[in-house]
Amino acid sequence: MTETRSGFAFRSGNVALRVFEPGDAPALLAYLNSPSLAGRRYLPDGFPDCAPLSMRQVEAVIEQWQKENESWTLAATDAASGSLVGYARADWEWDPHCPGACVVISPDHQQRGFGSAALSVALTYLFEETPAHVVSGWMSSWNESAIALARRAGFTEAGRRPRAGVHAGAFYSEVAFDLLRMEWTRHKEVRRGA
Amino acid sequence: MALEGKLVVLREERREDQRLFAALRNDLETQAWPKALPPDYTEEMHVKRFEGLEFTYERTSARLVIEEKSSGRAAGFVSYTGERHRISASIGIVVAKEFWGTGTALDAQETLLRFLFEELGLREVHLWTHSGLPKAIGLAEKSGFAVCIRLRESVYKFGELFDAVIMSLAREDYYARHLDIVDRLPSVELGAKEMSPCTNR
Repeated sequence: MTETRSGFAFRSGNVALRVFEPGDAPALLAYLNSPSLAGRRYLPDGFPDCAPLSMRQVEAVIEQWQKENESWTLAATDAASGSLVGYARADWEWDPHCPGACVVISPDHQQRGFGSAALSVALTYLFEETPAHVVSGWMSSWNESAIALARRAGFTEAGRRPRAGVHAGAFYSEVAFDLLRMEWTRHKEVRRGA
Repeated sequence: MALEGKLVVLREERREDQRLFAALRNDLETQAWPKALPPDYTEEMHVKRFEGLEFTYERTSARLVIEEKSSGRAAGFVSYTGERHRISASIGIVVAKEFWGTGTALDAQETLLRFLFEELGLREVHLWTHSGLPKAIGLAEKSGFAVCIRLRESVYKFGELFDAVIMSLAREDYYARHLDIVDRLPSVELGAKEMSPCTNR
C-alpha cells in the first residue's frame, strides 16, 4: 500500500510543535530561570544548566536551535491557545540508528500531559521519519518526573552511571533509558487499544 | 615527572606519531569507534589535525601516546574526553595489534587512571564500548570498571547488532584496589553517600 500522508504533522494530543522565533525569548527566559528547571534545561553545550540566564543568552540559544541540521529542538505549544509550554528535541547527529530524544516543560504547565504529547511527537518523528532502531533518553537520578515520563512512554531503564554531578549536597547518577522500535510499535498499539 | 607505568610511558603527541594514528584509524578493529569509519584517513590528514592543536590551559580532554619503555616504540594512545572538572571524564584506549596481549594496554590504562584520580581529582571515570568487544570489556574489568549502562542494540558493526556498554569506576572503588595510595580528597556529600549502581553484568 502506498503511503498517502503528505507531510509529518508535528502535533499530538494537546501539543503542537513549531520553530522557535525570536519573539519567544521572553517567555523562554522566564521559565528557563525557574529554580525547578535548574540542572535539567537540556541547553546546547556552552550554556549554563543551573546559573541564571540572561535575555542575550536565551536569544543565542534560540539562534543555535534554528541552525540545527541533524537534530531539531522545537517549541512545544498548547494546541488550543498557542502559548509556549516547553520544548522537545530529537537528535540523530551521532548515529541515526540510535538517536536521542528529550522534552522540557515549563513548571507552570507540568502535570497536564504536555510532556507525554511532546515526547510522542519526537518518538513518532524518529521512528517514522528516520531509520532509528532504538531511541535513548538521559536524565539525572533526582529528576523523578522525567524518569516517570520515560516509563510512561514505554522506555526501559538501561542503567545508571554514578557520580555524574552534585545536586542538593549529594552526588547523583545519570540514568539512561532506551526504547526499541518494536517496543514503541507495541506500546503505541496498546495505548491506541486502551 | 612523566606519567610512567611499569611497562609504558604516556607522553605528548608528536608529529612522527601521525603515521601510526592513521594506521590505527584505518583498521576497523582498532579504530575504536562504535560505527565504522571509512579506512581512508591519511597521515597528512592527521598531521594537519596535529598542527591545528593550540595551546590552552582550559583543558577538558587529552590524548597521550603510549610508549613502550623497553623499546621506545609508540604502541597506541590513551585519551580522556568530556572532563567535568573534579567530577568525571570518559576514557578511551587504542593499541596496535602487535601489542595486544603484552600487558601494554592495561599498564597504560592504569597509568592514565592514576593521573585522573590522583592529579585531576575526579570522582568517577567511565568508558564506552560495546558487547561485541569482549577484550575491551575484559581490559576495563581488570582495572575495576563495572558495567553501569547497557543500551540495547545501539551499535551496528561487523554486520551485527550489539549493545552499547558504558562501564564506570568510582573513586572509592579505585582507591580500594590501590592500597599503596590514600584518598585525601574531601567528600562533597552532606548526607548519606549514594551507593554505586554498577554491577559486573
